[in-house]
Amino acid sequence: MIASSLFLKIIVTLGLVITIAAPVLLIIMWIKDWKKGQLW
Amino acid sequence: MNNVNSTVLDANTGWIILTIFSVIWIFLGWFWGRKAKQLDDFMLAGRNVGMALGTATAMATWVTSNTTLVAPQFALQLGIWGMLGYSLGCIGLILFAPLVKRIRSLVPHGYTSGDFIRLRYGVWTWRLFLLISMCYAIGWLISMGMAGGVLIHALTGIDYQYGMTVILVICVTYTLLGGLRAVIGTDFIQTILILLGVIILAVLTISEIGFEKMHQDVLAERPELLNLLMPAAIMFLFNNLLFGIGEIFHSNVWWSRAFAFREGVGSKAYLLAGIIWAPIPIVAGFIALSVSSLGLNVPAADMVGPMVSAKLLGFTGAVIVFIVVFSSLASSLDSLLAATSDLILQDIYRGHINPDASDEQLRRIAKMIIVLLGGITWLVCLPRIATLGSLLQYLGAFVASTIWPIAAGLYLKKANATGAFLAMLLGTLSGIWAFFGIGFYVAALVSAIVSMSIVLLSIWLVPDDFAWERLNEVKETRS
Repeated sequence: MIASSLFLKIIVTLGLVITIAAPVLLIIMWIKDWKKGQLW
Repeated sequence: MNNVNSTVLDANTGWIILTIFSVIWIFLGWFWGRKAKQLDDFMLAGRNVGMALGTATAMATWVTSNTTLVAPQFALQLGIWGMLGYSLGCIGLILFAPLVKRIRSLVPHGYTSGDFIRLRYGVWTWRLFLLISMCYAIGWLISMGMAGGVLIHALTGIDYQYGMTVILVICVTYTLLGGLRAVIGTDFIQTILILLGVIILAVLTISEIGFEKMHQDVLAERPELLNLLMPAAIMFLFNNLLFGIGEIFHSNVWWSRAFAFREGVGSKAYLLAGIIWAPIPIVAGFIALSVSSLGLNVPAADMVGPMVSAKLLGFTGAVIVFIVVFSSLASSLDSLLAATSDLILQDIYRGHINPDASDEQLRRIAKMIIVLLGGITWLVCLPRIATLGSLLQYLGAFVASTIWPIAAGLYLKKANATGAFLAMLLGTLSGIWAFFGIGFYVAALVSAIVSMSIVLLSIWLVPDDFAWERLNEVKETRS
């Protein structure tokens, strides 16, 4: 059973979208925690 | 891998990057650690870590040099299942999320995973658990130290001994200066660096080559990499899954964070870290499938990631890979140093040698242990014994045996000390037997199955009636 190029495209694109969102989300959370004085 | 001719950067550039990051990490370690006056501040970052730093540290610690370099290697050797199977390592983080909540409510003043095992199952099971835990922690430290030297040499040509020494000295120094606070703070920056590096390389691979061409070329030259029913890859998938769960469930690296995170943060942070971590092996790994399109001749499979990056981005690509690999190594090594020193301090020094030690004494001893651990790791790594590098695979048999005793111990009153002890002992022994008798890819699987059977059987035959309040003993002994 051979994976199609569409399958490859879907898994990599989905992975890339999450990976791009991750640093954005982390920085937003950092700013939020920092404003509330809750970094640590 | 040892071939200097395959380096993607020159040694001078390597030294410049190493120096810049050494100064940054050590300064931050000192800066964040200067206010840590209490033992809780040093060991557990004041038990008040928020969501952003909590998520980043869980994610960064799980991104080792393996994730960023071995993911492309697996994609090159095992194809699509190689990277998909690797990404299942996220299940360990996701399954640990509900456990964190339970751990915080049952042992709110705990310090280590050993605290829980001692109070839940008694002294002998605790000692066996410590043995397993220490074998794993030392094995991981050695394999990370060796990986540091080997990777720095492979990427820049800097001598193995120098590279290994530099990465160990940097991590020991900033962990010593700032404790867990320094580890968690630097983990946040390292997470951002790793993610940005992986994104740049993936986007460039897609824009330069494209999915269609990549797929066509792989189909023409190595169609087996696109086979979704490759048996070896499917076996690897299950073993990797159980190894990952065992590593996270038992290791103090993850338990110390459960105690360090602010109330209500732990389970959400672990869940989010698992979700963010899952695509990393795919995004970092798929670039290896462009080897055919780029016409690259890869001398060693584990150099495929750096080679593709250097081919696509030239000098900049090589620098990005070096920073990503360096950040991955540091984020795991520092966590391991801090968590292992906590385990030795709390469970061996305080638990067995000096139960009445004051906080001040413990803080001093904690620092000595970090230096000692770094020194021992350095000495063992120095001769570069090749077999030690693969030590970690062998430890799958050890860690998988702890999954069921820990999970059952946290949720089932009927789970008992005899069952937990035998499950860890016989699970580990059967896993070792499977490792040598069948292959590395079944060691964790066999160990987990044997351990599960013993835990369930013991619950049925000799059920305990454990009183959860007994887990509060840590608080009572400290107040």
